Amino acid sequence: MKNLTLSIIAVTMAFITVSCNQVSNKNEQSSNDTSDVSQEQTVSQPNGGDTIAAPGVSETPNGQQTTATEQEKKFSIAPIVTDYLSLKNALVSDNDKAAASAGKKLLATLNKVDLKAIPADKHKQYMEIADDAKEHAEHINENVGNIHHQREHLASLGEDLKDLIDLFGTSQTLYQDHCPMFNDGKGAVWFSENKEIKNPYYGSKMLTCGKVEKTINSK
Amino acid sequence: MTIKKKIILGLAVVLIAIQFFQPLRNQAVEVPATHIERVYAVPQNVKAILVQSCYDCHSNNTHYPWYSRIQPGAWYMAEHIKKGKEELNFSEFGDYSVRRQRNKFRAMAGQVKDGEMPLSSYTLIHRNAVLSPEDKQVLIAWFSTMEDSIK
Repeated sequence: MKNLTLSIIAVTMAFITVSCNQVSNKNEQSSNDTSDVSQEQTVSQPNGGDTIAAPGVSETPNGQQTTATEQEKKFSIAPIVTDYLSLKNALVSDNDKAAASAGKKLLATLNKVDLKAIPADKHKQYMEIADDAKEHAEHINENVGNIHHQREHLASLGEDLKDLIDLFGTSQTLYQDHCPMFNDGKGAVWFSENKEIKNPYYGSKMLTCGKVEKTINSK
Repeated sequence: MTIKKKIILGLAVVLIAIQFFQPLRNQAVEVPATHIERVYAVPQNVKAILVQSCYDCHSNNTHYPWYSRIQPGAWYMAEHIKKGKEELNFSEFGDYSVRRQRNKFRAMAGQVKDGEMPLSSYTLIHRNAVLSPEDKQVLIAWFSTMEDSIK
């Protein structure tokens, strides 16, 4: 009987510890998240040097401001486009697993974007698009086995990318294609690096369905 | 006393013990200004379906059944609601960007059409949350109209 009481106490204690840990773990996790963000921000400051880069460009001395304008010119959506294209190509070949990992990569790329490099007047628009795009990339990553759902998110991503290209241009020539059937006949846009039509929304079922709406030249 | 009895007794004690650890309840008295019903005109018939089948997991106000306090089910439910609200929260719909709102309407139509939502694990217990074919039609039509109207 003594053993029994002991074991009961032990189990209860263990349980309480576990449940308490869960709570503190969650707290740690969220604090880790914030530290990740701040880390990224510091890492993504290439010209940091020995000066400690303070957030908010306006407060920094003149020297810093010129580097900031140099950075503005350098901002490019090329890495996002690259990841989008490999995601699109995975769906063209009906490969849900490849699409999922491409989605993961796109999410990582979006999270790595150096927000300070984005011109101030486009910042808000970029943030809205990026927040949305991250959600789609995440869902595509989570939906192995449900390629239809991955494709629904690709359709929304296509619109995000369209707006990004309108805002920042593209460093490689892209073809804006249109699939009239997808989304219950409302149609969906996609971008391709090739002029030849390869429809990512239906894959092998209707590979050549769709048409080029316009050619976007690199600038 | 056999080992078996000890184990059973131990489990019983654990079950009783965890009843004392209740997750926070997802309930709000006020309907915030960002609630979809205050941002858009939601037709009565649509609203009735949303209340019945969606708000439990996708708003800041869950209608809890009596057994929802029984652990460990309550934890499971709390996790579910947390996840549901992350994906879509009707109470905070007005805070979403226009882009996000439009995409949410589109996604909602798709999820209902494909029978993905409401989750089968939820409708298993909440039989009244099951969407009839008519309910689905009503929802899809409204979501689709909303998606087009906020372009």
